Amino acid sequence: MTSPIPRKKTIFLVRLMVIITSAYFIIFSPSAGRGLEFYAYIFIAFYLMTNLVVAYIPEKYFFDDKIFYGFILCDSILLPAGIYVSGYVGSELYLMFFFIISLTTMSSSFVYLVMNTIFFSFIYCWLLYKRDLLTGPMAGSYLIQIPFIDIIALFYGYLITTRLKDKDERINEVRERYEQIVQATDVLMCIVDQEGKFLFANQKLVKFYGFKDEKSLLDLTISQVYNEDEIEAEKSLSHVKSVYENDAMVQYEFYDKNHNIWFANTLSPIRDPSSHDVFAVCIISKDITDRIEREKNLNDTVEMLRKTRDQLIQKDKMAALGRLASGIAHEMRNPLEIINMGMDYLENNLPENDPGMSESIERIFNAINRAENIIKNILSFARQSVGEITQIAICPLLDNVLTLAQQTIQKNGVSVQRDYENELLEVAGDYNMMQQVFFNLVNNAVDSMRDDKDKRLTIRAYKQLVTEVGYKTGYRRADYFSMGDEMVVVEISDTGKGIPEEVLPKIFEPFFTTKAKNEGTGLGLSIAHMIMDRLYGTIDVESRVNQGTTFFVKLQPKSKLIKIKEM
Amino acid sequence: MSRNIKVLAIDDEADFCYFVKKNLMQSGMFDVVIATNGAEGIKMAEMEKPDIILLDLFMPDMPGEDVAAALEENPSTAKIPILYVTALATNEDVVEGKEDKIGNNYILPKPVRTKKLIETIVKILGEKSS
Repeated sequence: MTSPIPRKKTIFLVRLMVIITSAYFIIFSPSAGRGLEFYAYIFIAFYLMTNLVVAYIPEKYFFDDKIFYGFILCDSILLPAGIYVSGYVGSELYLMFFFIISLTTMSSSFVYLVMNTIFFSFIYCWLLYKRDLLTGPMAGSYLIQIPFIDIIALFYGYLITTRLKDKDERINEVRERYEQIVQATDVLMCIVDQEGKFLFANQKLVKFYGFKDEKSLLDLTISQVYNEDEIEAEKSLSHVKSVYENDAMVQYEFYDKNHNIWFANTLSPIRDPSSHDVFAVCIISKDITDRIEREKNLNDTVEMLRKTRDQLIQKDKMAALGRLASGIAHEMRNPLEIINMGMDYLENNLPENDPGMSESIERIFNAINRAENIIKNILSFARQSVGEITQIAICPLLDNVLTLAQQTIQKNGVSVQRDYENELLEVAGDYNMMQQVFFNLVNNAVDSMRDDKDKRLTIRAYKQLVTEVGYKTGYRRADYFSMGDEMVVVEISDTGKGIPEEVLPKIFEPFFTTKAKNEGTGLGLSIAHMIMDRLYGTIDVESRVNQGTTFFVKLQPKSKLIKIKEM
Repeated sequence: MSRNIKVLAIDDEADFCYFVKKNLMQSGMFDVVIATNGAEGIKMAEMEKPDIILLDLFMPDMPGEDVAAALEENPSTAKIPILYVTALATNEDVVEGKEDKIGNNYILPKPVRTKKLIETIVKILGEKSS
C-alpha cells in the first residue's frame, strides 16, 4: 500500500514556508513597532527550532501518533498565537482562525475540509466587514490573509484527513482480511465472555447450529447452543473459566450428541490491547469425527489382529503339541506298562491280609490310570482325519449330548432350557467330533454352576448372517465365514461363576484348567477349539464374572469342502 | 488243560518282557519265552513254535509289522496268531477298545494289566481253535 501521507520533507518545507510568511506578517504588520517585536522574534525562533526537530527526527518517530498529532497541535496553537502576538488583527479573528483549523481537521474527507474552509472564510470576511475593516486603505492587506489562512487550514486538514483516512483504510483492510479468514475457515469459531455468552460467531457456526444470523446467537450461552445437559454445561463453562483464570490455552475433545460429531475444541484467551487482561475467550471447534472413527477402526483392527495373533500362536502351540502327542504317548506308555506289570507281580506275591499294602497298591494303580487318561487326552490332538463332513441335523445331536450328560446334569440339579429356532436346522460337520465339542461345553457349564443357587443351562440354535469381522470371519479367502454368509450358531449359556477377564484369553490353551488336579486335564476346550477349526467353524466366548458364560459355536450350514481339515 | 500255552514275547523293553514272563508263568497257564529285538524274535518263533506271539509295533531294529510279515512268509510260523501289545496306538478306536485288529493280527494297547492280557490271549486262542 502506498502511503498518501506527505513525506516528512514536504512537511518540513511547507512549515518553513508558513514560518517565513508568518515572520513577514509579524514583522511588517500594521501594529509593528508596538514594542512586541521581541516576543515575535522569540516566537519565530521557537517555530524554526520545531521545524529543525521535524528535519532531524527519524521518520518512524515522526509518524508515531503522539508525536505527529503533537506537531499538529503545536502548529494549530502557535500559528494563531504568533499572529496574535504580532497584533495584526483583533483577537476574535485569531480565535476564528484556530476554529477553522480545528474544525477542518475534524473533517472526515477532503471535500468536507474544502467546504469547511470556504464556509469559515466567508464568516471571517463577514467579521472583517462588521468591523469595517474591508473599507479603507488597509482592506487589501486584510483580505490577503484569507487565502493564506485557507492554505494553512487546508494543508493541516489535508494532513490529518489523509492520515485518518489512510489509517481507517488500513484498519478496514486488515479487518476485512481477518473477517474473510474467519468466515472462510472450515472450523466453527466464536468468541464468548466469562459466562460463556456469545460475543461473536462465524457463519459456519451460525449455520451449523441452525441459527438465522449471528445476532440471534448473541445473548445465548455456548451450552444453550450446544444443547448440553447440566453436567456437560458445567464442564464446558469450567473450560472457559479456566482460560480466564490461567490465561492459557485449553484443548479438549467433545462429542456433539445431537449431530453425532466429534469436535476438537481449542480455547484461547483474547486480551485487551491496552490492559492486556483477558476479556474474552475464542473457541475454535474442529470436526474430528473422521479421525476419531479412523482411530476407532484402527483400534478395532489392532484388537482383531492381536486376537488373531493370539489365536494363531495358540494354534501353533496346539499343532506342535499334536506332533509331540504321539511321541509322548508312546514314550510314556512303555514305562507305565512296566509299572502296571510290575505292580501285578508285586500284588500277586504280597503276604496276605495286609490291608495297608493292598491300599497302597490300589493308590498306585489309580495314579497309573490318571496318567493314562492324560495320555489319551493328549492323543486326541494327534488323531488323524477320522470321520467326514456330512449334513447333520443339529437339534437331535444337541438332544443326544444332553442325554449323555443327563446324569451329571441331574446330580447337580441344573435346569435345562432348549431354544431351537428350527428343529430341522442342519450343519455341515462330523457327528462324533461335534458331539465331543458340545459334550465338553455342557460339562464345563454344569461344572461352573456347582456352587450357585440358580443353575440354568440354556442351549440355543439359530441361523445368523455374518455381519461383523472376527476370527476367521471377514473378507479374506482364508476366512471360514465371509461377509453376508449364513452360519448356524449354537449358544451354550450357563448362570455360573463366569470366567475372569485375565483368564479368558487362556481358556483354549492346552493344559489350562481351573479345575482341581484330578478333575480336569485342561484339554477339553483346546480340543473343542481344534475340532471346530477342523470343521471350518469357530468357537467364541463371552463371560461375566458371577453372572455366567456363553459359548458361541459357529458352524457351516452347508459343507464347503467335503474333507476335514488336516491338522 | 493238557499242556501250558507257550507264549513268545517280542519287545525291546526288556523290563516288560521280564514282568510278562513272571506274571504269565505265575498264573500257571503259560510257558513264556522272550526276545528283545525283531530278528531274535523271528529266530525264536521258528525254534520254539509258540502258540501265540506278543509283538511290539515299534522296535529299534525293525518294526513289528515287518516282523509279522516275516513270520507270515515262513510256512512254519505262518499260522501262529500274533497279538500286538503296543504303546504306539494312535487310532482312537483301538485305544477305546472298539477295534481289536490290525489286518489279520490282534492288537492290545498298552498300558494293559496282566488280567486283561491273559483274557485276550485266551480269547484269541479260543477263536483260532474253533
